[in-house]
Amino acid sequence: MNAAAPANPADTLGADQSAGPAGTPEADRAAGSPRRADLVRRHAGIDRLYHWLTAACVLVLLATGLLPHAGIAFDWVNLHWTTGIVLIALTLFHLLRSLIWKQVRTIWFTVAQLRGQQVGKYSVAQKLMHHAMGVMVLCAVVTGALLLKKISTPLLVRDPYLFGAGTWGIIYAVHGLAAVSAVTLVMVHVYFALRPENRMYLLAMLTGRMSRADQRERVRGIRAGETHLT
Amino acid sequence: MSIFRMGHDPWGRPVIEGISWDLIWVALGLGVLVITGHLLYRLLRGARRE
Repeated sequence: MNAAAPANPADTLGADQSAGPAGTPEADRAAGSPRRADLVRRHAGIDRLYHWLTAACVLVLLATGLLPHAGIAFDWVNLHWTTGIVLIALTLFHLLRSLIWKQVRTIWFTVAQLRGQQVGKYSVAQKLMHHAMGVMVLCAVVTGALLLKKISTPLLVRDPYLFGAGTWGIIYAVHGLAAVSAVTLVMVHVYFALRPENRMYLLAMLTGRMSRADQRERVRGIRAGETHLT
Repeated sequence: MSIFRMGHDPWGRPVIEGISWDLIWVALGLGVLVITGHLLYRLLRGARRE
C-alpha cells in the first residue's frame, strides 16, 4: 500500500508510466476493453490469490460456524476446523508478507487523506475496512487456534483442561464476536464491491489491473470528496 | 436479549459460555441497515444534485 502523495496522482500505483495518454472511462468503455498499454498494475497475482482464498475461507467458516446456530443442522466440525487451519496459514502469510516485504506504516491514513487532499493507493474507507477485517480475522484465528485443543484432530492432542471454564468461555465469546462481526463486515464489503462506481476495484481484484482513465477518475473523485468515504 | 450465554463452572461460579446466538440476527440487521442507509444517502444526494 502506498499512502504517500506523489506529485502526480496517477503515479500512486507505482506502475509503468511509459504508455501513451488514456481517454476518459466513457471513451474506454465505448471502445471496449482498454488496450493493455492503457492499464496499470494494481494488485500482484499473489495478493489476489490471497484475497480470494481468504474470502472463500471466511465464507465457509461463517456458514459452518453460524448456520448450525441459526437452525440449519449439519456435520460442520471437520469442515470448520480444516478451513480454519487454511485461514491461519493465509493470515500468517499475509502478516509476514506485510511486515517483511511491505511498508507497514502505509496501511494507516493521514489527516490529509481523510480530507481528500492526498490520494493513496487505497482510500480511507478501504483502509478502515481492511483494519476492521484484520481485527476480526486476527481475533478469529487466535481464538480458533486455541479452540483446536477442544476437539480431536490429527494435528493436536485434545486437551479440554488446558484452560478453566471461565477462560474457555472468554475464548468462545471472542471467537463468536469475531464471527458475528464478520457477518456485517462481509455484507458491507460485498455491497461496496458491487457498487457501480466501484467496479474498477472489483475488476482490479480479478484481473490485477486498472485502466489509466479509471485511475484518474478515482483520484478526481477522492479529491472532490465524492468517493473516499462512500 | 443478552450479549453472552452464561453458565457455571464445576464450583458453581457463573462463567461466560460464549455469545448469545441472537447476535447473528443483530449482525444481519446491522448489515442491512448500513446498506439501506448508504442507498438512501446516494439516492438523496443524487436527487439534490439534480
